[in-house]
Amino acid sequence: MRRYVPVALLVFVVYIVFSGSVSPYDIVIGAVLAVAVSALTTRFLVSDGGKALSLRRLANLVKYALYYLTVAEFKAHSLVIRIILSRDMPVRPAIVRVPYRAKNPYTIVGSANSITNTPGTVVVDLDTGRSVFYVHWIRAVGLDPETTYREILKVFEEGLSKVFE
Amino acid sequence: MIEEVVRYVGLAIVVAGCSVNLIGAIGLNRFRNFYLRLHAATVSTIGGTFYPLVGLALVAFSSSELGSARFFMGGVLLVAAFLLLMLAPAGSHALARATHRAGVARPEPAIADHLSEDRGG
Repeated sequence: MRRYVPVALLVFVVYIVFSGSVSPYDIVIGAVLAVAVSALTTRFLVSDGGKALSLRRLANLVKYALYYLTVAEFKAHSLVIRIILSRDMPVRPAIVRVPYRAKNPYTIVGSANSITNTPGTVVVDLDTGRSVFYVHWIRAVGLDPETTYREILKVFEEGLSKVFE
Repeated sequence: MIEEVVRYVGLAIVVAGCSVNLIGAIGLNRFRNFYLRLHAATVSTIGGTFYPLVGLALVAFSSSELGSARFFMGGVLLVAAFLLLMLAPAGSHALARATHRAGVARPEPAIADHLSEDRGG
């Protein structure tokens, strides 16, 4: 039963933020929608309700989001903007293997999204059998797995592992 | 007082986002091949769209002359920004993957292409 709470909460919060009002009408409609959507989709989305409701994991998610949206994005943007505006455009493009260690699908998708959302790196493909992302990297510092993992994936995977693993 | 501060922070984010958008457009023209252009497109999506949406939400929340409609407008902008952040990488990834599979654009110049090596190409 507890499994159904996280999806319902998420739907309710999104509805209230989207409608921007806390009138009785909106609260009732939001609650009805939350229960209906949660009943239909929870079995595809949540396997461990306790994990999804843990406050410590939520705090880690907020911490990760704050770090990602300020420091990580700023660094990546400034690198690509400097390349675009420089006269000779010093790129060193390569499609490199980046090994990942995560097992949970949420961590894998979250890290792949984080990589693609930072300018300078795009996940071109992934091989779930070998646990490898293939990443197009605009300025490749090195090609061996240790370097690519350290430079591209490490902070994202470590941050998200504390939330989802 | 606090409303003024929030409004000007929001406007500053919008102005910065517009400049980043312009730089992304310049990059889209200057880069040599498809994969490099994808990075310039990411600059425009995140720096040029996500952050300005958040900035506009701040402007909307601080506009008290709108009455209760400001929470509706700000909320819509925040939800749109969140959805963009979750869904934009799926589009970039789909473009890159399809292009590499079909081989319509070679990732050249490149110092290595491990994906083609592992596919035996």
